Amino acid sequence: MSKFLKFLFALVAIFAVQACTDLEEDLVGDVTEDINIEGIDTGGGGGSAGPLSAAYASLRGAGTANHGGYYSVQELPTDEMVICAKGGDWFDGGILIDLHRHTYDATHAFVNGTWVQTYNAINTVNELLNGDNLDANQTAQARSLRAYYYFRLLDLYGRVKIITSPGQDAPQASRAEVFAFVESELLDALGVSEISSSMDLSGSALGTDPNPYAMNQFGTLGIIAKLYLNAEVYTGTARWQEAADAASYIIDRGVYQLCGDGCKVANQGKRAGVASDPDELSGFAAVFASNNENNPEHIFSVLYDEASAGGMNFSQMNLHYSSQFTWNFDAQPWNGYATLEEFYNSFENGDARKEASFIVGQQLDFGGSAILDYASDDGELVLNYTPAINELTPNSLREAGARPGKFSFKQFGRPDMDNDYPIVRLGEVYLMRGEARARAAGDWNVSLDDVNVLRARAKVNSYSTIDADEFLAERGREMFQEGVRRMDLIRFGKYNDAWWEKPADPSDHVNVFPIPFEQLQASGGTLTQNDGY
Amino acid sequence: MKLKVDLKYALLLLFVAMGTFAMAQRTVTGTVTDAETNEPLIGASVAVLGTSTGTVTDLDGKFSLNVPDGAAQIQFSYTGYATTTQDIGVSNVIDVQMSAGTDLDEVVVTGYGTQKEKEITSSVVEVSEKDFNQGVISDPAQLLQGKVAGLQVYNRGGNPNNQSVIRLRGLSTVGANVQPLVVIDGVIGASLQNVDPNDIETISVLKDGSAAAIYGSRGSSGVIIVTTKKGKASQKLQWSYNGQVSTESILNSIEILDGNEFVAAGGTDLGSRTDWIDEVTENPINHTHGLSVGGGVGANSNFRASVNIREQNGIMRNTGFDQFNARLNFSSRVFNDKLKIDFSSSYTTKDQRIGYDEALRYAVLYNPTAPVLGANSPFEFNSSQFGGFFETLGLFDSFNPVSIVDQNRNVAERSEFNYSANLSYDILSNLSVTMRIAQQSTDFSNDQYAPTTANFRGNATSPTRKGLAEFYESNATFSLYEGFATYLTSFGKSDLTITAGYSYQEDNFNDRFFSIGDFPDNSLDFSNLIESSQDLQNAGFINASSNRSPNNKIIAFFGRANFTFDNAIFLNASVRREGSSKLGEGNQWGIFPAFGVGVDLNRYLNIGSVDLLKVRVGYGVTGALPQQSGLSQEIRSISNDPSGAVNTTLARAANPDLKWEEKAELNFGLEFSMGRFSTTLDLYNRDISDFILERTVDVAVFGVDRRFENAGKLNTQGLELALNYDVVRSENFNYTTGVVLSTYETVLEEYVLDAETRGNLGAPGQNGTNMLLVQVGQEIGNIWGPVYEGVEDGSPIFADINGDGQLVTGQDQALNPDADFEVLGNGVPDLELGWTNQIQIGDWSINAFFRGAFGHSLVNTFRAFYEPRLSTQTSYNFVNTENAVDGLTTARFSSLYVEKADFFKLDNLTISRQFNLNDAAIRSIQVSLMIRNAFVITNYSGIDPEPSLVDRGSAGNGNTTIASDVLSPGIERRNNYFNSRVFALGVNLNF
Repeated sequence: MSKFLKFLFALVAIFAVQACTDLEEDLVGDVTEDINIEGIDTGGGGGSAGPLSAAYASLRGAGTANHGGYYSVQELPTDEMVICAKGGDWFDGGILIDLHRHTYDATHAFVNGTWVQTYNAINTVNELLNGDNLDANQTAQARSLRAYYYFRLLDLYGRVKIITSPGQDAPQASRAEVFAFVESELLDALGVSEISSSMDLSGSALGTDPNPYAMNQFGTLGIIAKLYLNAEVYTGTARWQEAADAASYIIDRGVYQLCGDGCKVANQGKRAGVASDPDELSGFAAVFASNNENNPEHIFSVLYDEASAGGMNFSQMNLHYSSQFTWNFDAQPWNGYATLEEFYNSFENGDARKEASFIVGQQLDFGGSAILDYASDDGELVLNYTPAINELTPNSLREAGARPGKFSFKQFGRPDMDNDYPIVRLGEVYLMRGEARARAAGDWNVSLDDVNVLRARAKVNSYSTIDADEFLAERGREMFQEGVRRMDLIRFGKYNDAWWEKPADPSDHVNVFPIPFEQLQASGGTLTQNDGY
Repeated sequence: MKLKVDLKYALLLLFVAMGTFAMAQRTVTGTVTDAETNEPLIGASVAVLGTSTGTVTDLDGKFSLNVPDGAAQIQFSYTGYATTTQDIGVSNVIDVQMSAGTDLDEVVVTGYGTQKEKEITSSVVEVSEKDFNQGVISDPAQLLQGKVAGLQVYNRGGNPNNQSVIRLRGLSTVGANVQPLVVIDGVIGASLQNVDPNDIETISVLKDGSAAAIYGSRGSSGVIIVTTKKGKASQKLQWSYNGQVSTESILNSIEILDGNEFVAAGGTDLGSRTDWIDEVTENPINHTHGLSVGGGVGANSNFRASVNIREQNGIMRNTGFDQFNARLNFSSRVFNDKLKIDFSSSYTTKDQRIGYDEALRYAVLYNPTAPVLGANSPFEFNSSQFGGFFETLGLFDSFNPVSIVDQNRNVAERSEFNYSANLSYDILSNLSVTMRIAQQSTDFSNDQYAPTTANFRGNATSPTRKGLAEFYESNATFSLYEGFATYLTSFGKSDLTITAGYSYQEDNFNDRFFSIGDFPDNSLDFSNLIESSQDLQNAGFINASSNRSPNNKIIAFFGRANFTFDNAIFLNASVRREGSSKLGEGNQWGIFPAFGVGVDLNRYLNIGSVDLLKVRVGYGVTGALPQQSGLSQEIRSISNDPSGAVNTTLARAANPDLKWEEKAELNFGLEFSMGRFSTTLDLYNRDISDFILERTVDVAVFGVDRRFENAGKLNTQGLELALNYDVVRSENFNYTTGVVLSTYETVLEEYVLDAETRGNLGAPGQNGTNMLLVQVGQEIGNIWGPVYEGVEDGSPIFADINGDGQLVTGQDQALNPDADFEVLGNGVPDLELGWTNQIQIGDWSINAFFRGAFGHSLVNTFRAFYEPRLSTQTSYNFVNTENAVDGLTTARFSSLYVEKADFFKLDNLTISRQFNLNDAAIRSIQVSLMIRNAFVITNYSGIDPEPSLVDRGSAGNGNTTIASDVLSPGIERRNNYFNSRVFALGVNLNF
């Protein structure tokens, strides 16, 4: 009997002792800060991209070419792209119409999503910079890339926190301070104190080899050219000469070439049953094709791959459900983004860029038969994209609007596309140089040389004279779907104008987005709202 | 599978073995009758005091009991009657008359022991078998639906595979577990799914914090204590069989247009006329069978063993489950009755045909002129691509529902095994020690298969990659080791009971998921031959994941003192110190105290006809933690880069300062009884502070915008009232009625955000439309949106609520100070009512249970999407309730779709007849007819007016969601399973 009691109390004691000592949580199914995976440090590394692979991967995570983030907020408030409410489809609480009409507000989900995505990416770069396994060149790449992310924040929100180390807090900087930070980081990476026609980049830690997936001197120059081109918007002080000098440096070194007639790739979108589909894509179309990975025009690009590097979803975002059968897509598209009619019509017929940029007209399937839309709302079953759009809301026709197709679709494509997305490409560098020189000179005709290089490639007549409006239109034709239209309209003073179903903005406070409501609240008062919101 | 077979045989062997050891001694017989009516009391407990020998009275109130030598007293007890004790004299016949009324000495199971009902100072309600809801009930929670004031049990719709949402006194936490803790025969955290309703004797509900605090963090959302039936130590075995056969029909779907009306309304005519709801539903036949045996084994032991089999089918074709459950309870006293051993074990296996609720949603919205089969298509249609079925190609979120029901497979298998052993040793006559060991393991697997011809999830339109097989498996284990000692002492008019002990709990969970597609064709079920998949040749299509939780531990020390003075003043105090591995170092331990005092005023006031007038006040603090692991740690996600690198990025930031969420509850109770009338009133105030939530943090600083934080404070105030009255009590006619009422309001007092909106309406076209407002200072559950005023050119006109001449009704402006939004309703009911009526006429009895909830609203999302006559999408059917607005052709969320969902229903009607066959082999037969959901009175035009307390989120275009948002009550989603009316015929045999 007493033996039993002793046993009982012994058990009690065992439990009690165990109880006091062991409350450690060992997370066996999660990656925590304590985990070290062979060959990588927290933040990433290894593989052929070296320790910076996580930094470059963050470009895909930062909404560069999908719905709901950076791409959407740069494109949908402009005159080149719109998502109409199609009956019961795509109204989404009016937030897409708000983007079109510039009535967006601080609680807009895309405005918050873009902010979060961008700071996530900055954190990834900060973690790498905080580690100790980057050499001087890699550090310069990382800082240059981080400066590019701050350039996005500068452009979208103006006043943001400049965080350069994980976990650190900082006061909200003025737009001019953010501009100065981006400028100094990029200049540091280039190893110079200022951009000039006579600058010597030999002191730069960045390389010069053309590799569009890594930041080299030319990529950094392209980004600083964008920064200076918009400097007047950001700070009130124009920096045209520096923009022109940075662009010139890229063009003059001759490392990159425009993709002309001889620059070809196989047409991966070709249908077996449609003889008129070309076997190859050349020139402008080849720059954006699904197999554009070795294009000589790409200076700095985001790598996308359908299997291993997802994040570009244009086929889903832009095309009608039934267009699945033209390209034999793995998944049904969403029928969202379309082009405004006026913008579509700004392209003249014969402009290679028109054909390369849009999906329009009656649609045929893989075998060449007409695609039928059994749920058709326009009285006929044939799927036919019309450039004209009947209305923005509530009952835009399902097949209204030419569809953006510049990043062309391939047969049997997946929801994630293969096309690389250029952030700096030579075509835009010509336009930046032309514009900066013209504005510096006070004469738009100064830009003609650069503009005509691109018009020749597009197989349209050269201009003999040009003005600001025509330059902006030309920029629109060249840069459609590349996420720059909002910046261009603001810089040209057109962003607040009326177009199609958008009235003129009552105030230009909409030229920067509001600081997201959630972030204002989460920051505990360390962020304040932009004027006008 | 092996375990299943072995266990069945083992139990069967035990059945047989135990039945053979009954012993006979001196036999005492007698009759137990009602003192007032002289009616025999059937099933009254008769036990020899101080032993485990006992029996129950038969249908004539007669009993026969073998009394061991030296036994002195026999105790008679019967629910609803005062327990009496009789001395055993020389006579072998003892007749007893028992008086109806509140049994003040009745013992109620509370935490780590029992207490006399009278001495309890907290809010505890015990419901016993005879008061349970009747009918075809496979979810034990439904036994209590409407029976306990403040306990919400809602199972929206009639999906047999859904578990009930259980809430005690509303929302007890935001991020942690909101379901009450279940304790089965002393085993904390046992699974309610592993006990068959047939095996339950009583369920106690510990409602307030002072009662639950002894269970620490796991008791924070209240405690439900289940006591299973035990064998009664009688001379012979008692066998019992319980069987039911039932059928059900759709109680309510939603009004839609038929084919002709649809065409008249401008819909695209595809030539056929199809009633899609009819096509996917049926009136199933269901069976349940329960067999149990129990009795004494020798003088000191008893057992009960049972087997239950259920075949349950839903009203949607190919949905339902088959369940097998076996349970064994055994108890024995050894060492001169000083050591009591209780052993309990149960095993449940459930084969579930889950199906896809979405089929019902598509049955509502599918074009009623579309044919079922492609062969009847009005135009050329490649039927073989879709397994012979028609599909409206090119339309978003539209799938032939018959094809889903017939082609897609979604099945699951769940098996659960547990055992517990309880050793209780009386060291002294007033000191006992109890040790408890319990383990439970649950295996679950879910297989989903969409053949290459399935448009829904099978991607049949894809030219390249068709067919999908998904496999999911999980295992969960739970272990409990507890020990506690109880010491009793008396001095003068005082009694003191002290309990102290510790508890060690450990749980572990792991799961694996795998999906693969692109199968050759539809000639085989390729989920059994996945090596045929072409995904194996293509990177990026195969999905696989696995997870294992850490060993989550809870370690606790607890103590309690119950003090009574003069049998009229009662004091209870307890404290529990508990540590959890989930929190950061330094914050792991929490102390949770409770205190209660109760006074039987009538002992001093002596109001003549009053039997009981007791007031009590209880205060208790409990803690709570969310289910997830690694709350305080940094979590990173891992990804492979095309460069060959492996990257990790921050997914959740660390919060080493995270501390226990605390719930403090003050409860005031009043208990009164007088003759045939009794009532209990409870008032409570509950503060939940530092509730834990994964919230948005400053992404600039943390690098990621999510981490767990102590995020706010909730206050709930409520009132609960229970009334019982024996209206008629006579020889041949008895009528008892009882009402429970409850009301509460939960207000968000502090929150990390001033306001946010939640509960997205969803695709098509209504993303970014959050319908619920969560705002500091406001009630939880407010539905928020613009106010509908009329229609103009097909579009709704909204009200200029603030009268500033500007309409601000965009969803991204919902939180603007000048937004024209207002509270359109609240998803939480103001008042909930349960009304029980028991009528007994001779051998007949009628049980009518009415239930209602009032003051809550629901967003009818079927109407919000499909009631406007969208001129552009004429291939969805139109919902056509009496609330439809002529000429409205635009779908915009507004007050138009928020409906009051007050309801009152005859939840359960049971008519039964008892046949006494004393001399036959079968002692008695009871035959009953039951109807569930006999009628429902409501103005709600949706599918089910029951409150929706948890939002599962929106899902469209073949996706399913598993969200579980407790801050977004009040949304009836489109994939809600239709509710059903059930007719059941039951028979109960005792032999």
